Amino acid sequence: MALLSEVYEALENIVGPENITEEPATLDSYAYQWMAELVTDVTGGSKFFDRPEAVLVPGSVEDVQAIIKACNQYKIKYHVFSTGWGPWAAVPSAGQILMDLRRMNRIIEINEQNMFAVVEPYCVAAQLQAEAMKVGLNNHISGAGSGTSVLANACTFQGGGPDVMYFSSPQDSILSIEWVMPTGEILRTGSMGSDLGWFCAEGPGPSTQGIIRGSLGGAGGWGVVTKIAIRLVNWPGPVQMPIEGTAPSYRTQLPEENFKAAFPAFPSLQRFADAIYRIYDSEIGYIVHRQFVMWGDELQAAFLRIVTDPTKQLCDIPELLETPEIQQLTKEMQRNFQFIMVGMTPRDLAYQQKVLDQILKETGGWNISIIEEPDMQQYVLLFMLKLCFKSVNFTATGGFIDTYNSVASPDVWASGEIEAGKALLKKYAPKIADCGDQAMGPIGGQGGGGVTGWEDFVFYDPQDSDSSKAAADCSDEGDRLKAAQGRPPGGMLFGLARSTHADEEVRAKKLSKSPEYNWQRKLKETLDPNSVGSGNYFWGADLSKEENN
Amino acid sequence: MKDLMMAEKKDALIKIVGAENVIDDPSTLDIYSRDHSFVTPMMPLMVVKPRNADEVQDIVKWANQTKTPLVPVSSGPPHFRGDSVPGSEGAVIVDLSGMKRIIMMDRRNRVVIIEPGVTYSQLQPELAKQGLRLSMPLMPRATKSVLGGLLEREPIMNPRYAWSLNEPLRCIETVMGNGEMFRTGELAGGGVSTSTREEAKLVPIEELMEKRKLTQETALYQYGPGQFNYHKLVSAAQGTMGIVTWASLRCEVLPKAQKFFLVASDDLDKLVGFAYKLLRIRFHDELMLFSRSSLVSILGEGTEQVSSLEKELPPWTLVLGLTGRDILAEERLEFLEKDITEIAQQFGVSIETEIPGATGEQVSEAVMNPSKEPYWKLRRKGGCQDIFFLTTLNRAQEFVSAMNTLAEASDYSPSDLGIYIQPTHLGTSCHVEFSLPYDPGDEKEAAKVKDLFTRASKELSEQGAFYTRPYGIWADMAYSRNAEHTNLTKKLKGIFDPNNVLNPGKLCF
Amino acid sequence: MALEDLRATVSRCSKCSYCKWIPLAHVKSWRFAKGCPSIEYNKFQSYSASGRLSTSLSLLEGRSSYFDEGLVDIVFKCMLDGCCDVACKVNRYDLEPVEIMRQLRFKMIDNGCFPPMDVPYIDHLRKEDNMMLESKADRGKWADGLDVKDLTQEKADVVFHVGCKLSFDKDLWKIPQTVVAILKNAGVDFGIMGKDENCCGGRVCDMGYRGEFLKYAENNIDAWKNAGVKTIVTTCSDGYHAFNRLYPEEFEFNFEVLHITQYLERLINEGKLKFTKTVPMKVTYHDPCHLGRRGEPYMPWKGEQKKIRGQVLVYEPRKPRYNGALGIYDIPRNIIKSIPGIELVEMERNREYAWCCGAGGGVRERYPEFSGWTAGERIEEAKSTGAEAIVTACGWCERNFIDAINDQNESMKVYDIVDLVAEAI
Repeated sequence: MALLSEVYEALENIVGPENITEEPATLDSYAYQWMAELVTDVTGGSKFFDRPEAVLVPGSVEDVQAIIKACNQYKIKYHVFSTGWGPWAAVPSAGQILMDLRRMNRIIEINEQNMFAVVEPYCVAAQLQAEAMKVGLNNHISGAGSGTSVLANACTFQGGGPDVMYFSSPQDSILSIEWVMPTGEILRTGSMGSDLGWFCAEGPGPSTQGIIRGSLGGAGGWGVVTKIAIRLVNWPGPVQMPIEGTAPSYRTQLPEENFKAAFPAFPSLQRFADAIYRIYDSEIGYIVHRQFVMWGDELQAAFLRIVTDPTKQLCDIPELLETPEIQQLTKEMQRNFQFIMVGMTPRDLAYQQKVLDQILKETGGWNISIIEEPDMQQYVLLFMLKLCFKSVNFTATGGFIDTYNSVASPDVWASGEIEAGKALLKKYAPKIADCGDQAMGPIGGQGGGGVTGWEDFVFYDPQDSDSSKAAADCSDEGDRLKAAQGRPPGGMLFGLARSTHADEEVRAKKLSKSPEYNWQRKLKETLDPNSVGSGNYFWGADLSKEENN
Repeated sequence: MKDLMMAEKKDALIKIVGAENVIDDPSTLDIYSRDHSFVTPMMPLMVVKPRNADEVQDIVKWANQTKTPLVPVSSGPPHFRGDSVPGSEGAVIVDLSGMKRIIMMDRRNRVVIIEPGVTYSQLQPELAKQGLRLSMPLMPRATKSVLGGLLEREPIMNPRYAWSLNEPLRCIETVMGNGEMFRTGELAGGGVSTSTREEAKLVPIEELMEKRKLTQETALYQYGPGQFNYHKLVSAAQGTMGIVTWASLRCEVLPKAQKFFLVASDDLDKLVGFAYKLLRIRFHDELMLFSRSSLVSILGEGTEQVSSLEKELPPWTLVLGLTGRDILAEERLEFLEKDITEIAQQFGVSIETEIPGATGEQVSEAVMNPSKEPYWKLRRKGGCQDIFFLTTLNRAQEFVSAMNTLAEASDYSPSDLGIYIQPTHLGTSCHVEFSLPYDPGDEKEAAKVKDLFTRASKELSEQGAFYTRPYGIWADMAYSRNAEHTNLTKKLKGIFDPNNVLNPGKLCF
Repeated sequence: MALEDLRATVSRCSKCSYCKWIPLAHVKSWRFAKGCPSIEYNKFQSYSASGRLSTSLSLLEGRSSYFDEGLVDIVFKCMLDGCCDVACKVNRYDLEPVEIMRQLRFKMIDNGCFPPMDVPYIDHLRKEDNMMLESKADRGKWADGLDVKDLTQEKADVVFHVGCKLSFDKDLWKIPQTVVAILKNAGVDFGIMGKDENCCGGRVCDMGYRGEFLKYAENNIDAWKNAGVKTIVTTCSDGYHAFNRLYPEEFEFNFEVLHITQYLERLINEGKLKFTKTVPMKVTYHDPCHLGRRGEPYMPWKGEQKKIRGQVLVYEPRKPRYNGALGIYDIPRNIIKSIPGIELVEMERNREYAWCCGAGGGVRERYPEFSGWTAGERIEEAKSTGAEAIVTACGWCERNFIDAINDQNESMKVYDIVDLVAEAI
């Protein structure tokens, strides 16, 4: 259903004719999404969700405010996204306009002394990192990689990643924000709200910033955050990381007195878990993550050889797997993670290395030999420090989701779940890729560690409906297995893809059992009385009203 | 009529908590009617002491039915901020200090769950048996509620453990103002993103933690549930949004090796520069800056010692604690000391284990423990007013100069002014605290200090002090600067405490 | 492969947006992180490679029509510079953004959906064998008085193919004239087609007119065969790409193709070209798209896509990646650095992830404002290095830079590598 011309004109007057469109192919380019093919009850298996009614590209917080006010006036729902890598970037249902925030892309400020940056939605982590490194600082990069929005990761989605143990959870890294609320008021939180600068998220009194996100963000359903101040950490490296190598096998050589990539592996998952606790208690490590096992414990060695050699491709996998070198490496790489040590001084790095050696000794672990090859050391440093290769999630088959996720204490690694996750994936192979254990995740999932976890990667072919269905079924089964064990739900991505596109009323009924979604309903009714905010903010139905009716 | 209502209310509360836990004798009520702040005293109706969370919930439900204001208090006296003094008539004090259970401790996951009445004096020794300790604010008084302080975002002494201003507070159970009990984070009914699981029925926490052992969940993940961070709603709320009945806290590893260094200087900015460097590279544990007067109060016991310290101590002291926690603890201390010594030279300062007037060990002994009696702030003159706010460390000198000028203008000796500068949130912000010791028995001095407190609060606010914890007169100053935040806060209040029973009259309510 | 044959490929785009940036490993600043001029200028998602992939799918599924207003701009407002392709292929072995966008263009033209601005250019091409809107008869005028073999009459081992831009753009004539002098001096047996030289067809191919391209390609191949040519040397990067990549893909092609920079390197190595003068200048080098990432040679492949380990997509035999790795990047730099007095500084975006000059893919003809803006962005980047001059190896890049500099009243100089060489010999 097209927008009424009166409404279109009102919106056009706000952003200018060159920044609004109803052109069908353009609307489809926003409706096309990864995972759409899995949400078959909404898309019928197509790659397209609903088209937005129009797409707007606002250029300022004033534009956003005016758009939201217009939405309230004309009772039009809006949705919003920044870099948009995920089905939650598409409008949740038909009849909504979509704001594409790519024009709002500035770095407003980098406060070197107090270690924070202020950015707009379309500043991606790679851009902020490049500028931060010039002044000896570095920023958190979400697990989705450096091509994604700093602001959106922190405020509106999940945002965790490999560096959280040192860098802090994105939730805690947020300082003041500027936020256009669902009724169009502009709220600046914390110290900025009092015009005192961006340094403090909280207060006065209870932090209204608590509304912006909880475990998850509002995914565009809570008004539009147009600026965020975010904490940075120290970077003792060069102002520009030197990149070498032939495409696509880039790598970086960093000063050895400050940087070292390690590749610890362990004789058992219990020892793996024990080592994690020791790492937390010893407070070493800059980036700690189980990354490369995303390719499967059976294939990770071969994949590493392929991505670091520009002449190799995936067709080399079978041959590589036959070689004694890869066979040996595959064994050596069981139960591994990647461990990047950054010493603020040479003594610091030396100390961290000594501590790691001690931990390996205590737990019977070892440093996988491949990491001592200069090219591999440089590749791993680049991969983990810049997180610039994250479309690698799709390398194998073109499609990926997760299942059987866990977020818990390190002992969860030794709980039998890794084996169960592998068995689950094997069950659905060959309709999904057959790679083995693919439990990828952060070793320290919060500042200082304490919580860890993983996503079991599911590689499927998005243009093969059997494969897509198998992936969806695998994710669902992961959920059921979790529930049976009394654990939180498993696959986050597919679950969210469905939830964000579910019929709001149906979803609300399901969520009504959960008290937090009743609170969220009250928040929504209070703060978004015309219900124009995107349906990605979840709420539970008021069943008492229904019963009375 | 009034007496009848009072009797009915008392009966109702007795039914909930038992007769011995409902107090209405005038002398007790008088104690709760006032504190060391300049907030107008107000007699409560009575004091009720719940024994457990269910009783707290029943009290809140009752308060909603009867429209009775409640004032939650976790710490024992003396109180200083005015938040525990009723803001309206007919209020019932809900004194949680008797809820003193340490519900569980877990060394491996470094987590403890406690009730609101637990104090540092109670908790730290128990944690030490487990090889743990809790990051502390500066020398809390003996009766200080651990939970109460953390809820109010009191800064801890170790900025690199302040991942947020709430740290080390993690998950909480709270009775919201409408009487609904709710848990946050990992200990919500369900997992990290939703509470769709069985536990939404709120099984007792002990039972929950036993179950959670089976699923390796830790009580450390504090976000959510859902798309809202509820723990932020009750932080610095002065009990106006919910009453917290337990909280999980992240613990430190008890160090195997620890050393305190002192850096003396006449020049605060020099110390600030040095502190920034240490914060930047996280080469610190405890890290604070004190004026002479503050350190005198901290270390001085007795007039003679105070007098001697006043002569010997430098104008400014940076206190730096370093620890080696677990593996290679001594080696950690060793390399840090070497590196920091070199760094200090770049800033024209030096780290010492002893400076005129004090040793690192003495300072460590004082600050790493709750305050001995009398509470350190009251030692000098018996009374004290604090003005504190958040800013950035680079502005500390600016505020110090402003406060000195204000003190002089009020005929208050700047050398009496206690100044405590606490970097927090990994160095991104900084708590600046001015303490004004005075003799509360001396009416003239009390009036002078009240006047100075009021004027300085206002003036510092205008210069950029951020009253993120808006006690007393700071509330108006803080809320008037951000109309949208104020509106939203009121709307939240309307949702979570629709009958405004929780500590009305505080913040912007 | 036709667009329909690429449908499965199209459906595997995950919308990671890597196509909008240079390979993220190489980001050195906020300012120069972007890789795709099209989406930077036009803003909407449909103007990215990912957007055009979804557009292709939308068309194939009948969700939108080739005749929708606005579709023409989406499809054609892009230089096909290929930075998106390089960035995408850092991790994707199965996606072909540029190829899909090419096929989409062919499909549009086949359906008669073309930008109206094409009309004068295509008409002129058909009449005068060039899109420069100049008379064919004037094509060889740059060589007046130079005494060069006419390969329509004689034979030679080497044909020097000048290209449309350098043939007709008087400001740039010095380049082919210098080449003639160098080749003569080196004793190379070469000739030119003069006024009978035809367009290489590369540009019109990128514009979507495959039929026209095939015509010119066939024509040129015949002419060279008749002249006994073994080696084609060209100063035009567009032409280099056409001969090196497009011609062998469509026809039997047994010629050696060398860009002038490759030939100069050969001459230098053989001692037939020596630099005797100092050229004190700080310069930066711009990698032309068609010499760099799109300048990779054609590698014949006949194979199939298979799945291993259940769903892992592989090609057997190994498929050429065309990810920019084999483009010509070092040779021009080596030449520049070997000129005495030159200081070469690099822009942030270079080699396989260089920002486009804005001239290619028909954009200069169809969307001059967009083309000029793109060039202006590159000049800003060149300025940021502190260089006095921007050096490149393609007449189209040079003309676009010159125009942008004039429009913006900038002072930066523009050189072809051959210009620099001329100053040094």
